[in-house]
Amino acid sequence: MKKMMVIALALCMVLSIVACAKQADKTNDDEQPVLKVALSPDFSPMEFVDTSKEGQEQFVGFDVTLAKHIAEKLNMKLEIEPMSFDACQVAVQMGTVDLGISGFSWTKDRAENYLISDYYIAGDNETEQVIIVPADKAGQYSKAEDFAGLKIGAQAASLQEMLCNEALPDDTSIELFKDINVAVVALQTGKVDGVAVADGNADAIIANNQDIAKSGFQFDVDPKYENNVILLNQKDEELLKKVNEILADCMANDLYSGWYEEAKALAGIDTAKEISYGDDGKAE
Amino acid sequence: MDFIDFFEKFIKVLVRYWDVFLIKGVSVTLSLSAITVFFGTIFGTLLAFGKMGRSRLLRWIITAFVEIIRGTPSLLQIYVGYFIVPLALPFLGLSTYASVAVALIINSSAYVSEVIRSGIQAVDKGQTEAARSLGLTQAQAMIKVVLPQAVKNILPALGNEFITIIKETSLASTFFAGDLMTSYLTVNGKEFLPLQCLLIVGIIYFILTFILGRGVHALERRLSHD
Repeated sequence: MKKMMVIALALCMVLSIVACAKQADKTNDDEQPVLKVALSPDFSPMEFVDTSKEGQEQFVGFDVTLAKHIAEKLNMKLEIEPMSFDACQVAVQMGTVDLGISGFSWTKDRAENYLISDYYIAGDNETEQVIIVPADKAGQYSKAEDFAGLKIGAQAASLQEMLCNEALPDDTSIELFKDINVAVVALQTGKVDGVAVADGNADAIIANNQDIAKSGFQFDVDPKYENNVILLNQKDEELLKKVNEILADCMANDLYSGWYEEAKALAGIDTAKEISYGDDGKAE
Repeated sequence: MDFIDFFEKFIKVLVRYWDVFLIKGVSVTLSLSAITVFFGTIFGTLLAFGKMGRSRLLRWIITAFVEIIRGTPSLLQIYVGYFIVPLALPFLGLSTYASVAVALIINSSAYVSEVIRSGIQAVDKGQTEAARSLGLTQAQAMIKVVLPQAVKNILPALGNEFITIIKETSLASTFFAGDLMTSYLTVNGKEFLPLQCLLIVGIIYFILTFILGRGVHALERRLSHD
């Protein structure tokens, strides 16, 4: 009895020491100022995790490349703080991080509560917004009215939610989800009839789920929503200026499309697509 | 949904990412839970004794603390741990893992304090009275007579708290602390196979809690024979 308790306690001690040691070697020894960026790395190809890597290295994708570029230009050390999409916005508002770069689109509400950078363009990820539906029903929808009376899912506090509210008929019920993945499960289990997503995400989803397809319908996206923006705390006017300069420079040097292709390749979207059309049905 | 297709992808995800789930995810989930229960028990014990102590002010403060922690969602507490604690104590330089752990420890200490308090109070009052009439001081009576009996009530309940915390740590994935649920988020964020990833994570959580649950059960049986 006593022995067991001693063993259990010793185990706990060792584990906590290990955990503390892990933290100890995380302290920065160099003087370079740190640029903290919040993003939600569950959103291939914009930001996701390369599971073969550890620490800061593991975060990859378009927004991560952009964040690295900005940190480099500012001569700062990049530190990515991963967290859920809604928490990213809290982090910017609280000043926990300097920038929120997580595929954010411009919306009126965000403009009121944050400083918003100029646009950056992540390939066709945002310019096209679609609704994905079960593959066997893909042909049934071509215009907004076709979704009347149906349930359409969207990520809460996202551009897609706003587009749904604007474009779909009044009797379409819009179901909100914490993240896009849960919405996909809801679609697969018949809880919703369709899910509104950015085109890039739709490709990534369909690549691995042949039971899902894009419907014929596409949102009419107002140009001001087409591209992504970076969120900053309302106090950071100075940083905003610098970030906008860097973004203008990226645009002028046409860096975006290369980054986007790179991110897509890393996410395995193109390869996965080819494999999914193979007739043995085996991916790999 | 095609079952064979589903299963094939399940295997594919498992083969490709088994280390992410089984090594990274499980180790963080277990270490986070162990740290939480360990420190939660220490602080919970202090709280329990404070609550049974003589100072009315202290009792009132502890009761308020326990009620607030038990009356608010754990997810909210993790948000507070992540955003507010580093703001209030910036010199600590807490990592994500540490700030989530702090939130979980605070949460757990409130629950554990109630476990310990009820465990001690469940020991018949006659025991203390008998010990006192034999000439033991209040402290001696507590340490030599009441506590050894209370431990029998408390240990299995602490084991159950450990199991609860294992499930609770999944909330740490809001900040990608590296636990099992974070493994789900990161793998799924790349593969977009939510059901398969969730099933893998679910099975692992179940295996962990089932083994621990059996352990707690065995402990309970042993203690009742002592």
